[in-house]
Amino acid sequence: MNAFSYARPRALAEALRMLRNGAMALAGGTDLLGLMKDGLARPDSLVDLTGIEGLRGWSHPKGRGLRIGALTSLVELETSDALAKTMPILRESLQDAATVQLRTMGTVGGNLLQRNRCWYFRDEGTVCWLKGGNRCFAIDGENRYHAIIGAQDCVIVSPSDLVPALLAYDAEIALTSSRGTRQMKLGDLFVTPRGRDRREHALRSGELITEVRVPEAALARRGTYLKAMDRKAWSFALVSVAAAAKFERGLARDVRLILGGVAPVPWRVIAAEKGLEGSALDDAACADAADRLLAGATPLRDNGYKVTLARELVRRALRSLVA
Amino acid sequence: MPRVVKSREEFEGEIFESLVLVEGKDLPVAPAGTEFSEIAKSRRRVDGQQRVTGRARYTQDVYLPGMLHVRVLRSPYPRARVRRIDTKKAEALPGVRGVLHRFNAPKAAFRGEETIFREEVRFVGDEVAAIAADDEQTAVEALRLIEVDYELLPHVVDLEEAIGDMAPRLDTDGNVAEAATHKRGDAKRGLKEADFVVDATYRTSTQLHNSLETHGAVATWDGEQLTVYESTQHVFGVRQGLRAALKLPFSKIRVLCDYMGGGFGSKGGVGKYSIIASLFTMQLGRPARCILTREEENIAAGNRSATLQQMRIGGKGGRITALEHISWANVGQGKWVANPTGPTNTLYDIANLSSKSYKVVTNAGSLSAFRAPGYVEGTFALESAIDELAEKMGVDPLTLRRKHAASPKDPMVGKRYSDKHLIECYRIGAAEIGWQRRRAGGVRGSAPHRRRGIGMATQIWGGGGGPPAYATVHVNSDGTVVLTCGSQDIGTGTRTVLAQICADELGVELEDVHVRLGDTDNPYGPISAGSLTTASVGPAVRLAARDAREQLLGAAAGVLETPVAELRLESGVVVTKGARTPLAEILGKVDNNTVIGKGGRHPNDPELSLRTFGAHFADVEVDVQTGEITVEHIVAVHDIGRVINPTTARSQVEGGVLQALGFALSEERFVDRATGRVMNANLENYKVPTVKDVPAKITVKFVDRPDRKANNLGVKGLGEPPIIPTAAAIANAVANATGARVRHAPLTRARVLEALAIAGARS
Repeated sequence: MNAFSYARPRALAEALRMLRNGAMALAGGTDLLGLMKDGLARPDSLVDLTGIEGLRGWSHPKGRGLRIGALTSLVELETSDALAKTMPILRESLQDAATVQLRTMGTVGGNLLQRNRCWYFRDEGTVCWLKGGNRCFAIDGENRYHAIIGAQDCVIVSPSDLVPALLAYDAEIALTSSRGTRQMKLGDLFVTPRGRDRREHALRSGELITEVRVPEAALARRGTYLKAMDRKAWSFALVSVAAAAKFERGLARDVRLILGGVAPVPWRVIAAEKGLEGSALDDAACADAADRLLAGATPLRDNGYKVTLARELVRRALRSLVA
Repeated sequence: MPRVVKSREEFEGEIFESLVLVEGKDLPVAPAGTEFSEIAKSRRRVDGQQRVTGRARYTQDVYLPGMLHVRVLRSPYPRARVRRIDTKKAEALPGVRGVLHRFNAPKAAFRGEETIFREEVRFVGDEVAAIAADDEQTAVEALRLIEVDYELLPHVVDLEEAIGDMAPRLDTDGNVAEAATHKRGDAKRGLKEADFVVDATYRTSTQLHNSLETHGAVATWDGEQLTVYESTQHVFGVRQGLRAALKLPFSKIRVLCDYMGGGFGSKGGVGKYSIIASLFTMQLGRPARCILTREEENIAAGNRSATLQQMRIGGKGGRITALEHISWANVGQGKWVANPTGPTNTLYDIANLSSKSYKVVTNAGSLSAFRAPGYVEGTFALESAIDELAEKMGVDPLTLRRKHAASPKDPMVGKRYSDKHLIECYRIGAAEIGWQRRRAGGVRGSAPHRRRGIGMATQIWGGGGGPPAYATVHVNSDGTVVLTCGSQDIGTGTRTVLAQICADELGVELEDVHVRLGDTDNPYGPISAGSLTTASVGPAVRLAARDAREQLLGAAAGVLETPVAELRLESGVVVTKGARTPLAEILGKVDNNTVIGKGGRHPNDPELSLRTFGAHFADVEVDVQTGEITVEHIVAVHDIGRVINPTTARSQVEGGVLQALGFALSEERFVDRATGRVMNANLENYKVPTVKDVPAKITVKFVDRPDRKANNLGVKGLGEPPIIPTAAAIANAVANATGARVRHAPLTRARVLEALAIAGARS
């Protein structure tokens, strides 16, 4: 780890000023410290956000949707019984995420912005395409954990458990920088690295996520989150799926279906969701949705099993909404 | 009179004939059913409190005044020639005190090579240079400043590629060398005559030890004497290695290992890190600490070889007619091979058998012994194949095994076993798991897409131990005791078990025995490996305690003016017909101050084969749509002679089962073929089982009968047996549950899903 300066301001404006001057933001540190120890991030200065008031906790003002502060710890979301009633999918997605230690330190904002787990990317000694090199080593290397769909120059996968769950509820995020604030759909935060754009996130430099917002209408949906892992705890998803829908006379409306662990971004195909509108989510409809979701999947040497897993998890998740 | 006699020991599957100097007579074994004061009693670890309160000092906790921190520059390439090293910038960094590399380091013999820094580095992680600095951070920074000119050479890291014709030849004789072969009867004919033949290929992946404490040493030279604190399974082995490397006499080297955070076979001798630390302290006059990081541990400190194994097995009339086993093991840059054919050769009484084991060198980190080296890999193939044959023959797999498991003779060497209760292990295990519930094709599990099944596999291993091993027992004038031997407690409970043996034989309270281990200034103790500690050191401790007790009773007889025959020593009290006198009171009346008893391990009977046996039974549930395996219950039954401490024995078995669970389901090293780099040299992607992976139930059973021909305690070892059969038992249970046969451990999602698809089990 290189030497760096460190500050823990109390005011958001102060933090934003430091970010504008090139500091890196530190919240729970569960990803950044690992990147620094592995020599992948070498910041000259860190601005610790944890002293800033007002970015922590969640609220649900009546009829106005759910708001979650970016500095809220994952464990706080996971263990809140009130939240589990409002939006049970959050707890489902978090209880198999990382470990209780990591969930205690990790924050919502940090979770959304975590970098991918590709072992070539994470190996300081490998200069892969994403780090400015010439080639993706995983495409014809060890790729059991890599993308089966939607990838171009780089076959990383979206690692977050929380993100698919939030996307199933049409979450948006509030962003702020010293230049002002903006709001975007959470889905727009994630970009597929390609061509000259070797980024995973659409965050502008000096910008912070301050809040996650879930619209009230989405909270009427039932949702579920399923995750397949290599062992029963402390593993990133081989494949995960978040599914949500509301039901009118037993028929699904506003269906949302998002896969994690299969593509460089959370994987969503609108046609797959549209195809389920008004369906009773029977096996045939589920299979059809999986077909549309995974059409164009091009597995690599060692990750064809993810297609099988994804199809089955999609079926199970959708079936569980009607069960 | 001391005399020299023949002995015969087994170590990690190899047999050694030896000559041993012995003195006096050995003691007889107490018969089964004997009521002891300490032996066969469940006791908490005598050092448990020290360990859990953090007071126990491990090698990594040793910080000496003025200590230098050493870090090693390792090759980033799998094969390259080191043409030039420029350390000017590194040496200019404030705080850097020393640099070693192939152009300036003194010759230091290491495992048959003359130097520890090779001209041709042969795997990613091979040592290129080392820096000693005032602190760790400076040493790390200095590593980045060393400039090395490498000439890249063609490499191969994958086992099957290394066997093939296209691979670069790494050794002059090629990459593949025959390591072991065994033949009896006529396997070809036996296969021809069989009604059913299974011809299958099995694979096991590279498993990493991941001891909680990484490898490392702290060395300090005082101008006369080199003292090395090392995390090791064999202080005397480290001393031997340092003597060879540094050309110092034994008397000038002291190696210490008090508490130790696991080795599992990988810490059997001196490491390059210990030599590097020693060279620095001898050059610079300050203590030097060289402790590996987790990543270094997982690229350069050993592993269990990946294997490719071909099995041909034939059956007829409810019996096995022949068995052929050919194995290839990726030893990396290792100079030996852990033969997977050991269990094939020795487990079953099969008349026609042929086995061959090949060693394959590659540009990957060397193998090192890993808890039952070879046997874990071999048993996976052998016991899977036996189940496959039983399935083909339409017979119960346990019944088939029973027909070949009852022989009282070692089928490979023809000698009689000292003792054997394998059939009893089968009986106990079958009853515990409910083998009668097993149905061909498995049963429905807890949901429609889940299938449940039962499988089992057999274990054979050595564990008889043998000489040399010594102990001394010092009884202080207050009746307390210091037991000293050169063995070490690598986390298995050695300290506790030896204290129990000592207290029991001597007739004192357990808490009055203080055990001193892990020091080459102590009487010699063997390597803590090969499941041999209890069976090697335990009998020596018993003799030392007996020697001391006889002297104590002599003293008591004199002081109490009572014939020795009328005296007993119990719980630190001398008991006569009418009176109880504390030992301290007796010793207070004689001026000897210290009573010294000594004992040495007597030889094994060279005409006998000493083996441990066991069987594991697994009850698993498989999600046939996602390939997820849940191990619900493991029954582990072992025949290891008399059990000294049921609590520590149970811990050993549970630990073995869990380490086997990793081998069976999730642990697997990945090496990138193009770059030779280990992709998962960390605990994120090298998947050791978590507490959630632990089976809901682990039942541990022992036959627990003394092996009366093994040694004076009737004990055998337990370190390795419990890791041997678990993976095969799980694979067999998965096959029973689903019809899917997975022939590659670990049984990952990809492999299980593929096998399920072949079996047509996915609806």
